[in-house]
Amino acid sequence: MSEGPMAVVKPEMKSYIWLQTADGSIQQVEEEVAMFCPMICREVLQTGMGSSKNYAISLPQRVSPAIFGLVLDYCRFHQVPGHSNKERKTFDEKFIRLDTKILCELTSAADSLQLRPLVDLTSRALARIIEGKTPEEIRETFHLPDDLTEEEKLEPLRNLTDDPRIRLLNRLYARKRKELREREKIKNFEVEEEQLVDKRSVDDLLSFINGGDEESKGVKAAKNKKKNRRRKDLATHSSSNNGNANHIKEPNCLPSSCHNGDVDNVSSPSKNSTFQDSASPVFSPKLEFDDGDVDDELDPAMKEELDREVEDFARRLNSVWPERMHEILSLGQERRPVPVSLNGNGAMKRCTDVDSR
Amino acid sequence: MAYSSWTTSFPEEVLEHVFSFLSSDKDRNAVSVVCKSWYEIERWCRRRIFIGNCYAVSPRMVIQRFPEVRSVELKGKPHFADFNLVPEGWGGYVCPWIAAMAEAYPWLEEIRLKRMVISDDTLELISKSFKNFKVLVLSSCEGFSTDGLAAIAGNCRNLRELDLRESEVEDVSGHWLSHFPDTCTSLVSLNIACLGSEVSFSALERLVSRSPNLRTLRLNRAVPLEKLPILLRRAPQLVELGIGSYSAEIRPDVFSNLAEAFSMCKHLKGLSGFWDIVPGYLPAVYSICSNITSLNLSYATVPSPDQIKLISQCHSLQRLWVLDYIEDTGLEILARSCKDLQELRVFPSDPYGAEANVSLTEQGLVSVSEGCPKLRSVLYFCRRMSNAALLAIAKNCPNFICFRLCIIEPRAPDYLTLEPLDAGFGAIVEYCKELRRLSLSGLLTDRVFEYIGTHGKKLEMLSVAFAGDSDLGLHHVLSGCESLRKLEIRDCPFGDKALLANAAKLETMRSLWMSSCLVSFGACKLLGQKLPRLNVEVIDERGPPDSRPENCPVEKLYIYRTVAGPRFDMPPFVWTMDEDEGLRFS
Repeated sequence: MSEGPMAVVKPEMKSYIWLQTADGSIQQVEEEVAMFCPMICREVLQTGMGSSKNYAISLPQRVSPAIFGLVLDYCRFHQVPGHSNKERKTFDEKFIRLDTKILCELTSAADSLQLRPLVDLTSRALARIIEGKTPEEIRETFHLPDDLTEEEKLEPLRNLTDDPRIRLLNRLYARKRKELREREKIKNFEVEEEQLVDKRSVDDLLSFINGGDEESKGVKAAKNKKKNRRRKDLATHSSSNNGNANHIKEPNCLPSSCHNGDVDNVSSPSKNSTFQDSASPVFSPKLEFDDGDVDDELDPAMKEELDREVEDFARRLNSVWPERMHEILSLGQERRPVPVSLNGNGAMKRCTDVDSR
Repeated sequence: MAYSSWTTSFPEEVLEHVFSFLSSDKDRNAVSVVCKSWYEIERWCRRRIFIGNCYAVSPRMVIQRFPEVRSVELKGKPHFADFNLVPEGWGGYVCPWIAAMAEAYPWLEEIRLKRMVISDDTLELISKSFKNFKVLVLSSCEGFSTDGLAAIAGNCRNLRELDLRESEVEDVSGHWLSHFPDTCTSLVSLNIACLGSEVSFSALERLVSRSPNLRTLRLNRAVPLEKLPILLRRAPQLVELGIGSYSAEIRPDVFSNLAEAFSMCKHLKGLSGFWDIVPGYLPAVYSICSNITSLNLSYATVPSPDQIKLISQCHSLQRLWVLDYIEDTGLEILARSCKDLQELRVFPSDPYGAEANVSLTEQGLVSVSEGCPKLRSVLYFCRRMSNAALLAIAKNCPNFICFRLCIIEPRAPDYLTLEPLDAGFGAIVEYCKELRRLSLSGLLTDRVFEYIGTHGKKLEMLSVAFAGDSDLGLHHVLSGCESLRKLEIRDCPFGDKALLANAAKLETMRSLWMSSCLVSFGACKLLGQKLPRLNVEVIDERGPPDSRPENCPVEKLYIYRTVAGPRFDMPPFVWTMDEDEGLRFS
């Protein structure tokens, strides 16, 4: 029997290290297996603990008995010097076929025991689980909360209190109001007190409508030197003339048309956005308006008309599109455009470098 | 609500360690928006960042979010800039990025740029700001000269890669190469193939001699063939070689010297260059053919059966770029000899000629598709195609990832039936379920877009020219292709309707390019107003768009999503449709 802090190993006798897991239970483990964990090894060498039940080494919190069993399986195999690399690899591949939850616990345990090879093995396995998944899928797999806001995901430049949607809506409504007012003026030749709104916004609108460029910025001179452009394209001769008869006539598109409705999550530039089908509202995102924010002193009748007009227009636009589609789909296949004699098409460039993407 | 995540017990370093095994940007991006804690951990350990559109985000935002970046990749101009459709001066200036990073990322090691404008001053700034700078790749860039290269060579002590693939470089002098100090021994990759003028050969030789880690060397045309053996003997460890000029008077001593030098390069896997090829010298590389996996003969403008002989000996060939001199017969031989072929690009030798100068037809591609089961990526120029051929190709190669067909004459129909090629391309998208990139050509109606919208679920990039009948075509694509990231269109009768009806889609894509189409200025304004997270750029060299009626189509339209707002470096012929004013002048 060993008496000192270090177990003396006689060839015919096996030595054990005593270990205590976080739940309080104590077990003994073959010395060579336990010492494979650097943390345990250090404890034994520095403090002399682990030689008997009363002096069991306390394992870190993150090592539960079940998980420790797995760690020991790993250590038991790998501490044997005789295995070939191939055998070790095969063992590892089988070893990590575990539940994601168990795998996480194992990673954590291995880390706390400073068992580097096992940390690497489990980390790689976790990475492979993560690969190819969407954020939502990753959340599900690892039981993670969805606690990022849309703004955090997108990192907008603007101040969050200066919501662009509200500003946009203000503008659109203000413009629409102005147009209605003009029409009223022409009809009634009178200006009601209540229709006087903030002069500034009307001025803004006027300049906007007249294509004001009060903010024209200086043009940054391009630092391009004139040089012979190496011909990269292959056939881009004359551009086609656009005076085609195919031009589609738009209904007079009023930019102020938009929907009353609830705020939709403004489509984030992620692949998970749902797309609207052709029958759904033409314009998106749907915008919410908060009456308090719109700087109006409109008389309610005016406002009502405004809303009606907006809705009406949106409906018209929506109804035309499905009709037209149907029309086109029901036509035969023998549509042939007028051949235009042009050389070249969107030919592709070639690269000298085989590696280029 | 206590959320017991299975990773809550992880210390940060462990999660970081897990993340370090994620190699793709996509995975890193996904991880970074999973939840607050992962967001924080991930951003501090992000070392490599890829920004597909330099205007989609501002340097300041990137730096704020990822403070410890070591490697940056940026792309500037849209792809159609390669065909001179983007007027000079449009943008893509990298200077603001470098200036910001020079302060924020002193430990930056790698910069990779594509289709951007970079000046000599900026190159000098790079060379002086980043003490541990290692990799500079300038792909299709412009705006700089060999003076800028001299600064890089001279100041970057640990330079590993200098790669100028197809950039436009103003050749001031070939002496820039001598600026590499004698102490510089770290080079792994040097690509100067795009440089026009001669570089000092002795400087090049000395540089190669003291670079034991050199794996990739792509010489420019000015390096004569007789001198090649000198370099090869200095660098027998080369894996990729871009041969300069491959022409010289045929002399037996030059030939044997060359053949011997090549035979010593046991690790050589890729060959390119081959300007002015003289067929008599091709056999000099026969000894290493069996190792060759990548062969670029697209600059070998002299037709020769010896090229085919060379190809037929490269049994391990995986990638072949070649001119149409190879003809159908050559492609048949390719199909028989190179069973590992994955990528094929056939370029036209005489694209502007009215008649075919070579006998290369759809049959060549069909042969390759039959003989090479691993074929995944194709770029093919030809003068005729049929639906039957496309169907055969699709059935033979359902694993296509990239299929780009360029029938030289626009709106060319199926040459057998004179019908549109809708069914043929339809077969491609239907059979090739993993297709990510597609380029269309020939006579095409809205129907082909219906097929694409229905089947092209993994399609990420689509190039369209001279196709379609109406907005319905565009609508099919925008509403059906769920994975679409880049769409580029020229000379198609697509107008406002489809664009406005699918406006939300645009925020999920990187960019949309439409030139010589029928999108009106009014629609552009509307889009710009409605979708603040898009930059809607009207490029029109005829003058301000509001000097014409609103329903007048714009010349060119480039729409891209951004969180950085409108840019301020636009030239006078570019206007951004802004939500605030409807029209913003730069």
